[in-house]
Amino acid sequence: MTKSTMQLKIINRLHVIRAEHRITQDQLAKAIGVTRATIVAIEGGGYNPSLELAFRLARYFKTDINAIFSVEEENE
Amino acid sequence: MKRFDSVLLRIFLYGLPLIFLLAIFSYSYDSVPPASASNYIKLLDNFSGLMFMSWMLLSIYLGIRLMFSGIFREKVLTKLTFIKERDEREVMLTGKAAKATMLTTLAILIFLFVLSCFQISVYSIPSEKAIDGKTNIISLDVKLELLENLPKDDVREATQKQTIFAYTGLPISSSAVILGLIVWQVVAYNDSMRRFMK
Repeated sequence: MTKSTMQLKIINRLHVIRAEHRITQDQLAKAIGVTRATIVAIEGGGYNPSLELAFRLARYFKTDINAIFSVEEENE
Repeated sequence: MKRFDSVLLRIFLYGLPLIFLLAIFSYSYDSVPPASASNYIKLLDNFSGLMFMSWMLLSIYLGIRLMFSGIFREKVLTKLTFIKERDEREVMLTGKAAKATMLTTLAILIFLFVLSCFQISVYSIPSEKAIDGKTNIISLDVKLELLENLPKDDVREATQKQTIFAYTGLPISSSAVILGLIVWQVVAYNDSMRRFMK
């Protein structure tokens, strides 16, 4: 199996970090300028945010982007 | 120009009920003998004609603006089609839904095009004109006419054909096809968007 056939799976810890900061999905959505549905989709793994939004999230939680998002290799 | 278009659009939309009422009035006025109508009624009829003409001109102007002004089109049609792009995810989903709508519309257009090209007729001919002893004939034809033709002389009468079944192109008017496609675009887009949002 070559590297090109490997799938990269984005894993996020957004719900954990959000729970640590004790804020609701709605509050987070308003703070970073997206809809609550987008936060739900990111936390559920149904949507991978753009780099810009990922950095906005990291900046909001005053953390590194790698603390929220990480990549896992997934073989087909 | 933006302000001007916005005002005209409001006149167009808020004028719709008035145009509808005037159309009902004109329809009922046409069924009354003009001699028995009072001067006020005649004046109102002339007024309704003027209003209708203005509304038609406004419709043509707004239609052209929708075609050629990107900003105006975006502002008006996104509201009419319920497109929401509040964040990057919705922008992405809008793109997906628009693609799905475009492809399904294209499929429908291809299907309608194929249907419009086919001609099928089943007819019987007098026994003295029978072909190989057969009087019932099925005729299949494909035609591609880019312009709407006026009805030609009916050759069936000359050959004494008795049509049992005939299908010539689409049995619906071009206005119905266009209206159907407009409605389909809005419905298909919103349905796709709802599915992608889940």
